[in-house]
Amino acid sequence: MIRRYVMYLFLLCGASITTFPFAWMIGTAFKTYKEAATPSLQLFPSEWQWHNLVETFQAAPFGTYFKNSFFVAFVVTTSVVLTSMMAGYAFARLDFPGRKQAFAVVLATVMVPFEVTLIPNFLIVNRLGWYDTYAALIVPWCTNAFYIFLVRQAFMGLPSDYFDAAKIDGCGHLRFLVWIAGPLVKPILVTVGLFAFLGSYNSLVWPLVVTGTDRMRVVQVGLTVFSGAEGVQFNLLMCASAIVIAPTVVLYFVAQKYFSEGLVGTGLKG
Amino acid sequence: MSTRIVLAVLCMVSVMISCTGSKDFKPIESGKVLFWDRQTTDTGDLLRAIISDFNSAYPGLPIEAQYSGGYSEINRKVSASIQARTLPAMAVGYQSMTVEYVLAGAVVELDPFVQDVEIGLTQQELDDFFPAFLEMNRYPDFENKMYSFPFCKSVLLMYFNKNVLKEAGIDHPPATWDEFLAQCRQIKATTGKFAYAANIDASTIDGMIFSMGGEVTQGRTTLFDSEPAKEVFKLLETLAKEQLAYHIPPESYDDRDAFAQDRIAFFFRSSSHRAYVDRLMENSRDRWGMARIPQKDPNNPRTVLYGPNVSIFKTTLEQQRRAWEFVKYFTSRDVTVRWALGTGYLPVRKSAAEDPRMKSFWEEWEYNRAAFDCLPFAVSEPNLGGWQEVRDLIEKAETAVFTGKQSAEEAAISLKKSADQVLKDFAM
Repeated sequence: MIRRYVMYLFLLCGASITTFPFAWMIGTAFKTYKEAATPSLQLFPSEWQWHNLVETFQAAPFGTYFKNSFFVAFVVTTSVVLTSMMAGYAFARLDFPGRKQAFAVVLATVMVPFEVTLIPNFLIVNRLGWYDTYAALIVPWCTNAFYIFLVRQAFMGLPSDYFDAAKIDGCGHLRFLVWIAGPLVKPILVTVGLFAFLGSYNSLVWPLVVTGTDRMRVVQVGLTVFSGAEGVQFNLLMCASAIVIAPTVVLYFVAQKYFSEGLVGTGLKG
Repeated sequence: MSTRIVLAVLCMVSVMISCTGSKDFKPIESGKVLFWDRQTTDTGDLLRAIISDFNSAYPGLPIEAQYSGGYSEINRKVSASIQARTLPAMAVGYQSMTVEYVLAGAVVELDPFVQDVEIGLTQQELDDFFPAFLEMNRYPDFENKMYSFPFCKSVLLMYFNKNVLKEAGIDHPPATWDEFLAQCRQIKATTGKFAYAANIDASTIDGMIFSMGGEVTQGRTTLFDSEPAKEVFKLLETLAKEQLAYHIPPESYDDRDAFAQDRIAFFFRSSSHRAYVDRLMENSRDRWGMARIPQKDPNNPRTVLYGPNVSIFKTTLEQQRRAWEFVKYFTSRDVTVRWALGTGYLPVRKSAAEDPRMKSFWEEWEYNRAAFDCLPFAVSEPNLGGWQEVRDLIEKAETAVFTGKQSAEEAAISLKKSADQVLKDFAM
């Protein structure tokens, strides 16, 4: 019994430590500029400044930014899941010449950091006339080598008997992938989808570089308007941050079950 | 092995992509004059209003300001655009950034525009600019040509907390460095508080050296081992050893916060921080003030000039000309006053002093004029190639003195040696 209480105490401490920054963010969102700028762990404002919400939305066209972020993140997530599923299956199950070499090439791209590819990607996007378009925000991120690797590992774990049995019943690769193998690795696909969504939704530098107008800007760019050369408007920045992270928190809770299963399935630790 | 081969292939592809195509620069949008800028919220709105007025008053290709992140993001974006050979018409940036763009052959020399009979500036107009504003936009590494024009200007000021000074029995801010040190000691002795919170910043050190009567460079050689520079490091060493001052974490504004809570008496920052300090002090203007930084010789004062400039890129002649017309409009007396009053930056024209709007602003509060009064003696920092790296070295030296890792003498000498090497390497 005591052991259980001690365990709960530890869990409570862990939960409090994890939750504190979020609670502080929400409290700070409604503080005055002075209160927010003062280094303090005080959670709640001495007087709630509800007008901060209005000021935040007036500072930048967040409505357009949200629309763009959701659209881009949705298309990127769908594309990443589809391409990872197909490529992962091909590398795991199809026998074709140069399969190992091709997989090595794909895997090697994981080692190339974003900063290295920024300028070449920008050059390509510019040459294609995609500057300040959705294509620039979406196309370069429609596939991801690491996710292909994750899905391939999941497909490798499926017994080959499944495919043999399906083949006897007249099932081809595509049908097997869509109706049998895909559902069997659903937690991995959901995990990949979640990572892809978060990666796209949270990206800042690439959208800032390839867009120029508010028409194409995303929410993370919106957050930067509160940081000037002479200081940061912490209260408004926290207010905007609380609004911006809300969809990702909701998404996590919705997909939490699959996310945990997916991480266990791939051997990754959170 | 396969990873290395793949990386090599990727690098080759990148190089091939960047090497193909025309050597000329093209505008990102041919129908607009794009201006990559960093102003947001109220100041962004004001900039757009000024642009809108310009577009209405002077028909032609429309100017469009595009917020492009902070100065480092703008620098990264322009660098990528230079590689792609498609550029905006103009962008804001510091001199060190402009040097990079000039080296890439992407920036237009402004002297021909300035001297143009039709769209240039008359001698009378040129004389109306504070000389330092024009001088800081000339680049000694490139035949002293003008490659940028003043945009958001400010000067280094001393902010003083009247409550803390009063608590220590002091009734006026220090005018000299000796007086500054004496007041710091008095504050510590009577209140137990730190007197000064130092923001580790190369521009502040440069400003302090200027105010000690020194220079930072002579040609492409630094003067950090000169007597005025050594005096600055000795002062910092004394402040740290006697615990009269502390340094704040990099990129933070803890000095302003401590100031607003009456925990320190002084901090040195750009005059553009005024609005933020005002908000932190909750508009209690009887609690604080601003003054020029202390001087070695108050009869020959000096401080440092801050702020980014605007550069025009080699797009089409039509865009370059239109961009220059806007820059000229933006620095006209009427607009520079409007910009100064709306943002807290300084007007670039001497004649702004005659403007009734400026006069009424100065009458609002006795310290509103402090920054403008520094302009006649404000000095710009060197705009040599490699200076950005030297700035990092200055900040390292300042940190070393504050933390006691180096004595003032050691810091000054080693800074001189390493900074000279950087400038020498860059020249090669």
